[in-house]
Amino acid sequence: MAHAVISCLHANLAALEAVLADIDQLGIATITCLGDLVGYGPQPNEVVTLVRERAIPCCQGCWDEDIIEGLNSCECSYPSQLAERRGHLAHQWTADQLSETNKAFLASLPMTLRRDRLLFVHGSPNSQHEYLLPDMDAFAALERVHTADADTLFCGHTHRPYVRELRDGVIRVRVQTVSDQSAAIEREMPLSVRRIINAGSVGEPRHGNTHATYVVHDEATGSVEIRAVPYDLERTCRAIVEAGLPPVFAWRLRHGFEYAERADDASHVCER
Amino acid sequence: MARWALVSGLQGDLDLYEAIQRDLRQLGRVDTLFVLGDLIGPDRDANALLHRLQLPRRGELQPQCLYGWWEDQLLAELGYRGERRADPLRQRFGQAAVEALQQAVDPGRMAWLAALQFGFIELDCALLHGSSADVGDRLGPDSSPLLLLDRLTRMDVNRLFTARSGKQFSVELSGGGIASAVRDLAGERQLQQVVPQRKVIGIGSGLRYTLYDPGSDRIAFRTVGQQAGSRGRGFA
Amino acid sequence: MSQILLLSGPPGCGKTSWILNQIQSHSGPSGYLRLAGYPDEGLAQARDGGIDRAFLLDQCPELLDLSDLDQALAPHPDCLLALIELPQFHPPAQAGLAGVDRRVMPQLQALHLTPDVHLHFGRDPELPQQDALDFSHLLGWSLNLNAAVWDPASLSSFWFELVNGAYGDVYRAKALMNLPDGRAFFCNWMVSQEGSQFLPLQTIAPPDGRPDRLSRLVVQGKDLDPAAIEATVADCVLSNAVLELQQAPLRQRHTQPTRSA
Repeated sequence: MAHAVISCLHANLAALEAVLADIDQLGIATITCLGDLVGYGPQPNEVVTLVRERAIPCCQGCWDEDIIEGLNSCECSYPSQLAERRGHLAHQWTADQLSETNKAFLASLPMTLRRDRLLFVHGSPNSQHEYLLPDMDAFAALERVHTADADTLFCGHTHRPYVRELRDGVIRVRVQTVSDQSAAIEREMPLSVRRIINAGSVGEPRHGNTHATYVVHDEATGSVEIRAVPYDLERTCRAIVEAGLPPVFAWRLRHGFEYAERADDASHVCER
Repeated sequence: MARWALVSGLQGDLDLYEAIQRDLRQLGRVDTLFVLGDLIGPDRDANALLHRLQLPRRGELQPQCLYGWWEDQLLAELGYRGERRADPLRQRFGQAAVEALQQAVDPGRMAWLAALQFGFIELDCALLHGSSADVGDRLGPDSSPLLLLDRLTRMDVNRLFTARSGKQFSVELSGGGIASAVRDLAGERQLQQVVPQRKVIGIGSGLRYTLYDPGSDRIAFRTVGQQAGSRGRGFA
Repeated sequence: MSQILLLSGPPGCGKTSWILNQIQSHSGPSGYLRLAGYPDEGLAQARDGGIDRAFLLDQCPELLDLSDLDQALAPHPDCLLALIELPQFHPPAQAGLAGVDRRVMPQLQALHLTPDVHLHFGRDPELPQQDALDFSHLLGWSLNLNAAVWDPASLSSFWFELVNGAYGDVYRAKALMNLPDGRAFFCNWMVSQEGSQFLPLQTIAPPDGRPDRLSRLVVQGKDLDPAAIEATVADCVLSNAVLELQQAPLRQRHTQPTRSA
């Protein structure tokens, strides 16, 4: 049965509506959301309300958490002072706008969702802030899925959709202990095939153009389709300016750049 | 050539620490002493040892200390770690152990303990109490090789020295690889990666400690009181 | 034998780069003067604010300042190559020296400079052929950035946004920008050329507070939004506290040689 996975909506209502229409038109009933419903975009209440009305199961993203817990992203998760200042401004604006009901909804979201051997997270099983980039060290990527006891890991956070299959893995080691007087012992660990599927971003795409992205996964066949959906971008850009958010946010969205550039360090884990 | 001594699990035992310092003097050629945590413990008053670590006697190697699992528990219990408290300690050893640990250290020593670091990076080596993931991470000779490789990769080092398990061991990643295929909107690409030649070394605890020569990459596991001049059970 | 060369051309045509090449390949002494230029039919000459001169002086510390009246009255050294830069949008009406804008003559006479040769970018084949841009209704705008020190990653983002049109259609942008480690960069961008130039100055300031040297941003374009540019710049430059935080370890490294690994 096919199911759709969406992520990183970032308060972009036009993009969410277009993606939901696309999913409906494919006849898919099961949708899972990987968090970051709000942040930077101009319609946080409208987007959260629509997700609640559609009863879409969500896990919590780093923006959702920060809006509830207060701004506690570590500084190093912003790649520059400019990105940090803009992030703080967007955070404050979003926190002021969100209704108490919608805040309570974001606060209720779990860190992970699991269905059999499928695991759904925002960043990585370790942290909502960790980026699993498509070219990160393959062993480190596999360790995230393996340690979380899953076969397929769905994540978002990087805003670039991809499917990565890790296979034919083996690690050989030579072990020496003091208690064992004999020569070193050779051991071998074969690694099972695992998959990481990044759902991209509905509201703040960063894959070379402005289309909203999400993925469709068919559990029976194992196939994954990356969908790129055009939407009424100008409607969102107008809403950004009308909301009093910095016009440069609209410019960045219109050109397919993220509001704050992503942090590139895949191994960075926030230590709070 | 410089040689390091790596020690852990003193748990407040000044006599043990003095015995190690004597052992190192007899060995000679050791120029750096790292104490990878667990300076304190619930079983004895740690103040005399902490005093000595801060103010070494003439002729002693100046120790470079990290915090370990026991320090982390005490710092958490006393509010140095935000909301976190010493719940792992409480669950494993009971409330009495939490209280004994607090008794073992004078409040005046807490600022020094709180300033200790999580780890050192020296050359291409990471020196940690547990691992790059957590101070309580118990890496041993039987740990999953995938986990060990991940812990090395996180620090981007070739050698990781760990103390938490209390065991003396060396696990060398000696071969293997992995294939991966990445598909995105731009197309598909294949990546092949080999296992890097890296090593995780358990340094032991208490009387058992480790010598390391970064120039030759030679490791020697020692026990205090081992016959002087013996080279220990070393292997490259 | 000395030569006095007047070089004119529109903004961004490569005058300063060409002049730098001439100075570096000339074996004798060189001198430099930049004239202000004149606004032409709705085209504002951006106030250069001394950026070109500061950059050339950094690259060629021996460069003589031809705007210095004391030097003007002294006899010219042997083999002097005197280069005079004149921003000018439109090609001269007449060929050769007859085409020199008459308005510059009184200033040149006061400095005892009589051009031997006049070359104009886009007209004379001795110069590289670049940028046949149609400049109409350009707005020039500049911002004094003296004492401002940039967060390097923010500078990179800001420059990307600026030259890609986030603050209006930019045809030309150039700047001298300070970084916390004491380096400064000559940043140069022109709509017709691919990519930006970021050239480090030779002179490095000590990492000890704000450097005392020229720093400025000059932009030419259409529908510019100076308020938005200034707002972004304010989010990119470092406060005293952050600057001190970044410079303190650099100062230590300056005073104590690093432990050899």
